[in-house]
Amino acid sequence: MNMQKFFEWFGAWPLSLGIRESTWIYAFVQSFHLVALGVFFGSVLIVDLRLLGTGMRERPIAQVARDAWPWYKWSFVALLVTGIPQLLSNSSREYYSPYFWFKMEVMIVALIYTATVRRRVTMADESRVGPIWGKVVGLVSIVLWFSVAIPARLIGLL
Amino acid sequence: MLPLRHLFEWVDTFPSSIYIREDLTLFPLLLTVHVVGMCIFSGLVIMMDLRLLGVGNMRTPFTQVQRRLFPWQAVGMAVSATTGLILLYGQPMRYYTNVFWWSKVMMMVLASVNLLAFHFGTYESVYKWDSDAKIPSGARLAAAISLVLWAVVIMSGRLMAYNWFNKT
Repeated sequence: MNMQKFFEWFGAWPLSLGIRESTWIYAFVQSFHLVALGVFFGSVLIVDLRLLGTGMRERPIAQVARDAWPWYKWSFVALLVTGIPQLLSNSSREYYSPYFWFKMEVMIVALIYTATVRRRVTMADESRVGPIWGKVVGLVSIVLWFSVAIPARLIGLL
Repeated sequence: MLPLRHLFEWVDTFPSSIYIREDLTLFPLLLTVHVVGMCIFSGLVIMMDLRLLGVGNMRTPFTQVQRRLFPWQAVGMAVSATTGLILLYGQPMRYYTNVFWWSKVMMMVLASVNLLAFHFGTYESVYKWDSDAKIPSGARLAAAISLVLWAVVIMSGRLMAYNWFNKT
């Protein structure tokens, strides 16, 4: 089954059609998705700003990152739970949107980057990371996550 | 609300307002930057409120969270407020007649009142509970109210795309 067939297949599920035909469900799912996005960006930025040397700089980076982790994890789950119904009910629009594919590709890169490079740097002994690397890692994280959020907004606009 | 309606109707006729309304690239551009500002502002306000509620960022004393995040909350708010006001200027009557726009504005007013009440209330004694896991109920209440209000602001903003319950 190729990708286009796959999108057509799940777009025809009764669940997908049900969401598409109900204005209310779709609109509220979109709204909760944005609230989850707020929590998610908070949990990302609080660590990245600290990596950049601004933000809560009295605290060790690892402590800030440990506190942010549950909010990062659970808000991402909330983003998935509210994102999947939008994909199901809009399968053909998403399939033909270059912004959708860009968003998904960057999201995978951002998730891997966060779980590997960024995690290692935030958990490392700060004196060993050095001032420049922390800043680079934080800045890359900010750029990656906004490169997920911005095309997401554009899917429905352009 | 009649004087406000007149003001909005007047702005609606400005050539610059019509220009913003009719330009095809400005709306998506402004809306996208508005969301970027929202991510920064609401994200960091939520992080601060979670600390004040006693459920998040507990390894950092509240005043450090508040003081260190404030400049970035202000940056986010400046971005969203600027783009939001331009969006409003471009389509004043669209928003005037939209119930969700009113809900969004009202919730932001309430959030400001809540902020001031906290700042001149429980916050005065912050030095006593700054690093504590147990936070005074007044402070936790302010945090809970803030979280709910900003969530409703975000949701109202999203729902403004729909014209349900439009007024005339």
